[in-house]
Amino acid sequence: MIPPVLDVRGLGISFGGLKAVDDVSFSVERHRITTIIGPNGAGKSTLFNLISGALTPRNGKVMIDGVEMTRGSAEQKKAAGLSRSFQITNLFFELTVAENLRLAAQLLEPPTHAFLPIRRSRRAMEKTERMLERFRLAHRRDELAGNLSHGDQRRLEIAVCLASEPKLLLLDEPTQGMSHADTQDTAALVRGLTEDVTVLLIEHDIGLVMNLSDHVVVMHQGRKLAEGPPKVVRSDPVVQAAYFGHH
Amino acid sequence: MSPIDYLQFVLAPQILNGLTLGVAVVLVALGLTIIFGMLDVINMSHGEFYAVGAYAALALGAAGIGFWFLLVLVPILMIPLGMAAERLLIRPVFDSKDRHVTTLLVTFGLGLIVEDVLKVIFGANTQRPPTPIPGATEWFGILVPNYRLFLLAVGAAIIGGVAYVVYRTRLGAMVRAAAFDRHMAASLGVPVSIVYAGTFAFGVALAGLAGVLLAPIYSVFPTMGRDFILLAFSVVIVGGMGSIWGCVFAGLLLTQVQALASLVISPIWTDPIVFGTMVVFLMVRPQGLFGRLGHA
Amino acid sequence: MLDRLAISMRASHVLAILLLAAALCLAALGAALDDSFYLRLGTEALIFAGLALSVDLLLGYSGALSLGQALYFGIGAYVSALTLMTVPSFWLAMAAAGLATLVAATIGGLIANRVRGVYFALITFGMAQVVAKVVYNTRELGASDGMIGIPVVQIQFGPFAISAGNPVGFFLIVLAIIMGLYGLSAYLLETPFGRVLTALKANERRVPFLGYSVWRARMAVYVFAGLVAGLSGALYPVLRGFVSPELMFFATSGNAVISVILGGVGTLIGAIYGAVLLVILKSIIGSWTEHHLIVIGLLFMLCVMFLPKGLVGFSRPWIERRIVRVPSQEVTASAVSPAIAKSRSAS
Repeated sequence: MIPPVLDVRGLGISFGGLKAVDDVSFSVERHRITTIIGPNGAGKSTLFNLISGALTPRNGKVMIDGVEMTRGSAEQKKAAGLSRSFQITNLFFELTVAENLRLAAQLLEPPTHAFLPIRRSRRAMEKTERMLERFRLAHRRDELAGNLSHGDQRRLEIAVCLASEPKLLLLDEPTQGMSHADTQDTAALVRGLTEDVTVLLIEHDIGLVMNLSDHVVVMHQGRKLAEGPPKVVRSDPVVQAAYFGHH
Repeated sequence: MSPIDYLQFVLAPQILNGLTLGVAVVLVALGLTIIFGMLDVINMSHGEFYAVGAYAALALGAAGIGFWFLLVLVPILMIPLGMAAERLLIRPVFDSKDRHVTTLLVTFGLGLIVEDVLKVIFGANTQRPPTPIPGATEWFGILVPNYRLFLLAVGAAIIGGVAYVVYRTRLGAMVRAAAFDRHMAASLGVPVSIVYAGTFAFGVALAGLAGVLLAPIYSVFPTMGRDFILLAFSVVIVGGMGSIWGCVFAGLLLTQVQALASLVISPIWTDPIVFGTMVVFLMVRPQGLFGRLGHA
Repeated sequence: MLDRLAISMRASHVLAILLLAAALCLAALGAALDDSFYLRLGTEALIFAGLALSVDLLLGYSGALSLGQALYFGIGAYVSALTLMTVPSFWLAMAAAGLATLVAATIGGLIANRVRGVYFALITFGMAQVVAKVVYNTRELGASDGMIGIPVVQIQFGPFAISAGNPVGFFLIVLAIIMGLYGLSAYLLETPFGRVLTALKANERRVPFLGYSVWRARMAVYVFAGLVAGLSGALYPVLRGFVSPELMFFATSGNAVISVILGGVGTLIGAIYGAVLLVILKSIIGSWTEHHLIVIGLLFMLCVMFLPKGLVGFSRPWIERRIVRVPSQEVTASAVSPAIAKSRSAS
């Protein structure tokens, strides 16, 4: 049997007595979009940090592709095929758009290319060009990432995460701060990603979540409240009380 | 030599020397650590401000102003100097991306200039002001120069005074609030900009005061700050950058280690020990023995 | 296809060629006039340019300010001197110095790379102080006097040999070595490894999530920079015939930092121009006053505050425009920072 791309078992961490993430378990199936929802402070971003290696879990397990990586560093988890974006845009603002992408894409090259001229990294160069086209950033390729509009920056961030051809993509509120049009745009983009990767999302826009997701995990006060297909989750009275009740 | 004699003629004087140096270095390091804790600035020109204080005391003393008056006058004269340095050099680069490195470099440049200016004005020769309090007191058979006793007392008073101001007064509370979170402090009505300039000037004034106090013991020469500041840096790092009690503790500890080690090994090896301690602390405990100002 | 980094690097190469041309003119002029003073001064400037280059590799590309890079310069100089006094072979001395600094920089890197930012500056400063004081007190190494009487060697090139005492010959050799180190550094920055370094400087915390080990990259550039400093230092005793503990002192490290700031941080060639400029300033100002530190200190502070890319930052955009033949897209700091400030303030 093929293991799930990501399997999280009993994951937990606390900060100064406060259980930020407490005994959370779920798994992410291949080529599907799984979304984590929950009110502010539910522990969604902390969960992402635990999965991606930004924080080390106190309890539980993180399995990537059936391999245990619980205490792996960010770069080890990246090597296992996990790529993530950040809630607050986190790019190399002083480098160009193309350079941001190439930095991610050059990971596709064998390590022997590390000390050869960058021109020799053909796969990385081609990948960069493809990502520029696909994310409609080609006309801004030589602009500094810091000079892009907010929407372009968010798109670039997804592109950077994708450029290294990960198996699993963690996107932390990719539409945060976007206009309605940009949000729809990004949703279509994310939908198109599942051909190549599996997506784990954090998203606030409930309409978007219901349209986009194959599977929804609801978090509340650090714990998993419910999970299931969007429709099932939406009609769950516990979820409605805890989460939708706030809206 | 009997153990009593050893204690009396070797150990005790050495401890006393170490103590004098300890108080001296704490006086210099205090300003350094306050400026770091508060402004997040490594003041590389601190040693030169110390030298300026010593030269000011020398020149004004030669002009006939008494030592007691200088103890008050020189620090007061240093305040506008510190204010100007903060306004003209630190403030313009304070919000640059790499504040630590930029301010470190700017103050490094300032130090170069000040050192050379002192050389232009006063010449490169070593000078020594007369001891303001002559004579010595005999304690258990050891002759202790009176001025050193005075330095210990005044040093302790200054350290206590600074700690009182920082930890016990409303002014100190504002300073600590601004150190902890300047935006929060500003929104609470703390005049952050003045507090910053004032803190820098206060640190500089402390360096100047140390210069006045130490000139009669350690002599006055243009590069006097350079040698002393290395020790002061070690003290600040071991104590925890920004911590006043850490500074006092580490200052006294390191100078005692230095003084006592020189009984066992050749004195020339004590410098590597002090700097080595600093390196080890930076490796294993960069926050030092005590936490930062405003953070603990 | 040229991107911004490649264009900047090419502009640096143009400046490097200009410098090379000027140096060759000096060599020709020196040979014609039978000068040794200016040639030896030029040689010394180039040797210290190597040290400045190593400071810029750290500061300009990985964002780490070293206040003790003279440590490796000094180790290179001492090992070279000791080798020359045992076996008078230039290449052996260079190899020994290179090997010794590789080992020393690996140890130093393991210590210094445990910390970041201002702590990195202070720990490099402290390490250099410790070693300098030990050397200063070690009689076997000549203690405070250093070591004198290093023989003048013949530098072998296959069947040919040039005496290190020949001002023109040795100047050209040092020029070739320093420009070679510059070329090697520039090459490294054009590789995927070099791009990771620039990423470190731009946003270190993002780098692990791209899959690169920050520690390994910092370590690699630290060791390489140490090697550059060590090989430059190894040339010093060949030129001067002596070494002294001053080579390791803070003043030497500080001068290298000044050179980098004057010339332009993160430009590589700026470090070399800066070092040459510093020597020129010292000898010009020094001819009418011994207080050159005031002028140098002022220039240095002005560069830190108002010219973050130094003198090269002044001239390079102009060359860049000539290279790409399109209007410059050089983005000023003010154009970048609002976007950065915006994204940061969101936290």
